[in-house]
Amino acid sequence: MTTVHRLLDGAFSGVVLTPELQDLKEEMRANLLARVAELEAVGVPPAESARRAFDELGDVQALIETESGLGPDAGSPASASAPTSGPASAPTPRSAPARPAQSVAAAAQRNKVRPHPGFVVGVVLAGLLALGAATVLALTVAGVVTGAALPLCAAAGAALAAGWIVTTSLLQETSSNHPLPSGRALGYGLGSAAVVLGLALVASGLGLGDALVAWFVPAGVALVTGVVVLSWLGATQTNRKKAWVREIAAEQMAAGNRFEEDPDAAARFGVYTAVIWIVAFAAFLVLGFTAGWAWSWLAFVGGFALMMLVLARLLFGERKDQDRGSHRD
Amino acid sequence: MIQSTDASTADDAFAADLLRGHTDTIVLGALRGGDKYGFEIYRDIRDATGGVHEIKEATLYATYRRLVRDGLVEAYWGDESQGGRRKYYRITDAGRAVYRRNVEAWVATRDVIDSLLRPEGRS
Repeated sequence: MTTVHRLLDGAFSGVVLTPELQDLKEEMRANLLARVAELEAVGVPPAESARRAFDELGDVQALIETESGLGPDAGSPASASAPTSGPASAPTPRSAPARPAQSVAAAAQRNKVRPHPGFVVGVVLAGLLALGAATVLALTVAGVVTGAALPLCAAAGAALAAGWIVTTSLLQETSSNHPLPSGRALGYGLGSAAVVLGLALVASGLGLGDALVAWFVPAGVALVTGVVVLSWLGATQTNRKKAWVREIAAEQMAAGNRFEEDPDAAARFGVYTAVIWIVAFAAFLVLGFTAGWAWSWLAFVGGFALMMLVLARLLFGERKDQDRGSHRD
Repeated sequence: MIQSTDASTADDAFAADLLRGHTDTIVLGALRGGDKYGFEIYRDIRDATGGVHEIKEATLYATYRRLVRDGLVEAYWGDESQGGRRKYYRITDAGRAVYRRNVEAWVATRDVIDSLLRPEGRS
């Protein structure tokens, strides 16, 4: 058993163990141990099984070089195939692709998915049904509708419309999302339908005013069922974003890191914020005593707007200290 | 075209190339039934080919990382108390969608290749 560990250490010697490489090494360790156990189970001696398991891995050195960013194809194939519209880019570190902002729009254009006409027609029809049902329910609450049949139909119609819209929407491939598996999409649709049904029944019961139990018990059951189903689906939801969207999101996260890279900007932002809120509070008092308290809150709105402008300026504006060297973006 | 009497190594290379070209889809397919760790995925692929072909584990490690980066699978560490901790992979909804699309593309391509590479003596 110890030989697996020694062989692994040997393979990873001479490279800086980044967190990614450490992660790879630990993953390989468990898999190697599993393979060794398999070999030993068929009677291969321990020392030989470790050696064989290791030799079967393939080109470990190339893998380590790729993962440590030294290899030839360190970038993902998706980013490698994406046309770089900017000037011939200088070699950049692998996690920080320099990409001009307009290529985000270009990527969105390239990955555009048009909705199916059938889906659009279905959603419009379901929307009309929902509108009709909502009108009936509003009239019921207002006390105009008195019978139980019409609100009941409206509740069913609203639930059907909601379920239809949610299910078919989730089954659609969009520019940024993959379609959901049909089982899960149906689950979301049924959950939404149950919640809408429950709310519609509560509304009907309140509007009609009589036989409350007959309305509220099924309403409660539908609501609880819907909430439970939706919570479970939400808790088990996995990624459905397309790769290009994730890439752009990662780049935008990197843009927000400017305060980490540039502590001066963070300190400036702190001082500006303090000044803005002190001035805003002073303006609040002045306005309150002169123009009246009804208008004094505008000072805080102005202060907030100013703070966001300063934040945007500090995060995305031009840097004055480019001459200091590292030209990061 | 490869003659079956020619050399079995040529057949092997042909099949291995085809397999390697679909590593991402094969891994996604292996994860459809449930979460697995690296060696289980490797073993499933090896056993599915009757032990004749395999995709090297080094290739698979690179594939896992690419799939995670693209959001097609999620990785998490298991809670084994003994031995090394295992890194498990779970297919995401995006992964399922991509798998479905790739399988459709494969079936279409296979039909084209079938009609182009018809064995001699048959029409």
